[in-house]
Amino acid sequence: MSITGIIVSSGIAFGQALHLNYTKNYLDYRPIPLARIPQQQTKFFKALQELQQQLSHSQAKLSAECENYQLIEADLLLLQDEELIEQVKDTIRTLQLSASVAVERIFAHQANELESLDDPYLANRAQDVRSLGQRLVSAIHGHLDQGLDKLTAPTILLAQDLTPAEFALLPKEHISGIVLKTGGLTSHTAILAKAAGIPAILSCQFDAEFIPNGTPLVLDALNGELWVKPTPEQQARLTVTLHHEQVRRAALEDYKNVPAQTLDGHQISLLANVGNLNDITHVSDAGADGIGLFRTEFMLMNARTLPDEKAQYSLYCEALHALVGKTFTIRTLDIGADKELPCLYQEVEENPALGLRGVRYTLAHPELFKTQLRATLRAANHGPIRLMFPMVNQVEELEQIFQLIAECQDALEEEEKGYGELSYGIVVETPAAVLNLSAMLPKLDFVSIGTNDLTQYAMAADRTNPQLTRDYPSLSPAILALIKMTISQAKSAGVKVSLCGELASSPLMVPLLVGMGLDELSVNLNSLLEVKAAICQGDFERFSALAHTALQQDRIATLQQCITSYK
Amino acid sequence: MYEKFVTITAKHGIHTRPAALLVKEAKTFNCDVLVECNGKQASAKSLFKLQTLGLYHGVTVRVFADGEEAQDAVEKVSTLLITLS
Repeated sequence: MSITGIIVSSGIAFGQALHLNYTKNYLDYRPIPLARIPQQQTKFFKALQELQQQLSHSQAKLSAECENYQLIEADLLLLQDEELIEQVKDTIRTLQLSASVAVERIFAHQANELESLDDPYLANRAQDVRSLGQRLVSAIHGHLDQGLDKLTAPTILLAQDLTPAEFALLPKEHISGIVLKTGGLTSHTAILAKAAGIPAILSCQFDAEFIPNGTPLVLDALNGELWVKPTPEQQARLTVTLHHEQVRRAALEDYKNVPAQTLDGHQISLLANVGNLNDITHVSDAGADGIGLFRTEFMLMNARTLPDEKAQYSLYCEALHALVGKTFTIRTLDIGADKELPCLYQEVEENPALGLRGVRYTLAHPELFKTQLRATLRAANHGPIRLMFPMVNQVEELEQIFQLIAECQDALEEEEKGYGELSYGIVVETPAAVLNLSAMLPKLDFVSIGTNDLTQYAMAADRTNPQLTRDYPSLSPAILALIKMTISQAKSAGVKVSLCGELASSPLMVPLLVGMGLDELSVNLNSLLEVKAAICQGDFERFSALAHTALQQDRIATLQQCITSYK
Repeated sequence: MYEKFVTITAKHGIHTRPAALLVKEAKTFNCDVLVECNGKQASAKSLFKLQTLGLYHGVTVRVFADGEEAQDAVEKVSTLLITLS
């Protein structure tokens, strides 16, 4: 049996099923009939025993001195706690709730109470209590959660949704594939999966009831299919496909050490999008000309506290050291929309994507912004850094930013701390930024087009909604026109123009984008060699002709036709 | 009733692991042992309740119990509260 989905990160993965956050998304909050109360209480007791057995089993493998042993001991004590058992039993009876909802409620209450004590040790413990509660709910549903940290075999994760922060915590060495029910093509989790080279599909309407944990699966993220309990023939066929894919990838290795240059000698700068220092150190091995986008907010995603100026400064210096003079583009914190940070207080907004995000957030929190600006300025003393600002719409914002930078420079001078010159750019990701570009270009050294948000804001189409990302693709006449406007204006002002959106990571789009006259493309590390191969195998003259034809199309379908028929 | 007041000396307070040891000890007695701190009460046999008391470094705790083994139980639990870290 196979279930289809939308491919966001291509590849083939073999592994066993594991439901993540099974509980969170499948709870039924409706009151239960009185007659079912004893049955729900029994379910709760049974789950308690099962989970205790499982925990004792994992504990037996550990030595009594190790921290994990003692933490499991504490979990066991909680599961045997009479007060807790009574509370859950009472909640099922008096509020007529199902066992799982009652457990969730009691554990959440306990966790909240621990958090309210304002003690960092107990705040940590609150998280443990929540996850113990979740495991208990999973056990009630008959999906005993093995716990992500205990994975050993290749695993395909199944979930309703996955936030970028949750993704960051996954033990990626054991995750062979990801299948989500929701999630848009350009949601940040999709981008991260692609960057990590983990095959992933979204909008996959699997029925969790029929795929218990441990079910053998094959994820064919070349054709967008999830195979449940594949037959030996299907397995053999997919193994062959995987083999072909590996051969094709191996052939790309030839492009590692050649410049990104067309057959007729047009060279562009091919850069990488990264989210952490580890990726930065791999950039040279990956065959990139540097970093076109360092998403600095990812270093905060799961941090309990913000890295201070010193920590950021040493991180940027380390990156410079690893890059040995190659392009290094830092994007200042792009907080907001679907990127929530536990270490920052963020107001709940009605429309976060239209709210306090990017420089709007950092300008509203100048201390946070200045810390990053100072760290960047100081690091620039050790090597070339390009700094770019997300979500800039108008020149007034740029003036505020430069005012803050001037203040930071004055302060550094006073403190006799060395700093260097930066190159400045903005991410062009709203239609307003394109229309206001002429006022901003004199202050800038480069611009970088972010096609994902540009599409979301131009089309007024939520990028995390799969239905909308399908109906309003980035490859559309309106978005191409905005890209073209940006390129023309930047060129006539003598400002470099780059594109860092997902569009650039698709080899199919490369002839069009290079043909439109971009100076740089910044792509996922995982797609870099494919993109480079596409550049190296073509003529710039033909790319330009393709771009010329593409810009004349006034329908999505003919535009797509024009791109796919190019060869 | 037998009672005793002790002050928590453990640097990080009585968090999960020491609290777990305390619960194990309290469970060896037939009588219930209660711990009172910051205006809240909890049974020393319930980790669930004990955790929410806020047993930080420096706070004073009242330990009390009723029944046959009351004195012994209170002494043992109090000693643990002082010595655990």
